[in-house]
Amino acid sequence: MRRVLYSMDGRSQMASSAPVTPVEPSVPGAPLGEVAEAAREQQERRQASDQERRLARRRRYVEQLQGEGLLLVLVIVVVIMWVSSPYFMTSANLLTAASVVSILGIMAVAETLLIIAGEIDISIGSVMAFTSVMLGLLITDGVNIWLATVIALLLSAGVGIVNAIITVYFKVASLVTTLGTYSIFLGIAYALSNTMTVTIGGEGFGSLGSGHIASIPVPVFFFVGTWLIGAAVARFTSLGRHIYATGDNYEAAVRAGIQADKIRVGLFICISLSAGLAGIIVTSELGAAAPQIGDPYLLAVVTAVILGGASLKGGRGTMVGTLIAVAILGVLQNGFALLQFSSFLEDTVLGCLLIIAVLTDRLVRRAER
Amino acid sequence: MTEPAIPLLEARGISKNFGAVTALIDVNLEVRPGEVVGLVGDNGAGKSTLVKILCGALQPSSGQLLVDGSPVSFHSPKDSRDRGIEVVYQDLALAGELSVTENVFLGRERRKSGVLGRLHVIDRRGMAREADRTLTSLGIELANVTSRCGQLSGGQRQAVAVARSVMWGSTVLLLDEPTAALAVMEAEKIGLLVREVIKRGVGVVLVSHNMPQVHELCDRILVLLRGRMVAELQHGQTSVSDIVMWITGAALVQG
Repeated sequence: MRRVLYSMDGRSQMASSAPVTPVEPSVPGAPLGEVAEAAREQQERRQASDQERRLARRRRYVEQLQGEGLLLVLVIVVVIMWVSSPYFMTSANLLTAASVVSILGIMAVAETLLIIAGEIDISIGSVMAFTSVMLGLLITDGVNIWLATVIALLLSAGVGIVNAIITVYFKVASLVTTLGTYSIFLGIAYALSNTMTVTIGGEGFGSLGSGHIASIPVPVFFFVGTWLIGAAVARFTSLGRHIYATGDNYEAAVRAGIQADKIRVGLFICISLSAGLAGIIVTSELGAAAPQIGDPYLLAVVTAVILGGASLKGGRGTMVGTLIAVAILGVLQNGFALLQFSSFLEDTVLGCLLIIAVLTDRLVRRAER
Repeated sequence: MTEPAIPLLEARGISKNFGAVTALIDVNLEVRPGEVVGLVGDNGAGKSTLVKILCGALQPSSGQLLVDGSPVSFHSPKDSRDRGIEVVYQDLALAGELSVTENVFLGRERRKSGVLGRLHVIDRRGMAREADRTLTSLGIELANVTSRCGQLSGGQRQAVAVARSVMWGSTVLLLDEPTAALAVMEAEKIGLLVREVIKRGVGVVLVSHNMPQVHELCDRILVLLRGRMVAELQHGQTSVSDIVMWITGAALVQG
């Protein structure tokens, strides 16, 4: 096969003074005619591009299947609920469902970006609890409610900074880091609150969680706002490209001059801030600060992101996928409540969804090889 | 070769010790515009060490690097990249989930004009057009610049990485085993790409075990043997078996 190299010798004129002496003795065989060789070359080239096109087509097909499959799942669960419960398709119920799922959605947006960047944060549940408890303590100490809210948010960002320092600068896997901080801050939240619930009143503050604007619940606005920002960043900006590149091939990103570490630090702060925001909204909704509020969210947020097509290996994921996945979880949660199924069963279904989502991702990757 | 221009990159009397181990002893190398310099040697002969020194990943124990005739000292690969010297790695260089265009423009995204640009909104179409133009002008055939790099063959990825370096003004490309993992057809295409690249006045250092290709492509072939430069072979005045004899040291024994 080495002969091909020689036949293509564009420099043979230059080298004509000293003719090229072919090759090692280990490559025997009668030389093919130039014409035959050219024909074979052409054929090989054609085969190569054919294969390329076939692969591209198959890939597009699988991708569509994944994207539309997710929509299909959403349609199916909606239809099932519609049929099962007469209350499901009422605007009051749908708005309630949207309000409930928005809290999960706010965190899912930031988690999607973080997972695309190749990291994960599982401390969000405890950040919610921590923020809520700190808010409660500050208010008990007589701090103005809005000032207390801002301070609580800053504290939640502080957890993000801790996560970022341990992960980015001490190079601990983010799964381990955030598992640790999950325990740490949940413990702090329980200790500080003495497992007591602090009632938080205030007309204005309560509307963060349970108010309405044009009969749409306020949390929905928070979710739609974060989603729009997240989607725009991911899809249209250079920062978005850099986030994808960071998770996809860290080395290449750094070599291309991208400040991948800064991006990861920023995203850790974003996810903790969004968990803090979620904690504040839930606190407002309940009218009480309590360390238990984060419990249901950890599994749900990660499930939503993975179900939405983001890959734990980094570099892959879309905001549209996350949005659809959040909607699916919203319908399921709402449906379970309407049909009065056990909430333990809900956890089981979530777990199944998570595994199915990961398996689908694996299948997609295999189809590409 | 025409009149000897000032070398784009020159290494003078480079030695490198790792503790008691000597990796390179008094090695000289120069690359001129439009020149392909082959760097060959057996495993452990010091090729990678030399490449690492040329790109600033390692610092020489003694000796001097010059860029365009003036002395430089590189403390990191970033320093050398800033002076237009780039190592092209096949797999480290590209993000597989991003498209060809996105990879070519990675870290240098072009923004839209006006308000959107100020919001860092990128100009996809403009970038795709330019990436396409650059690749075509280098003779790189890709079905589509929007296809993902992970889907490309090894050779195509290599080509995209080379194109990116050339597009952003690299003047010296260090190709470290560019054809090691490639099929024959692909290796041949890399050869054609190197020809295209040197037409633009870029200098290329080619580290390779693909002897026929080194023999065919390189203007000069430098042979490293146990850290010493034992031969500088001129294009057209040597054969593949000559090169192999120098690499193994058999040529030294025969005198």
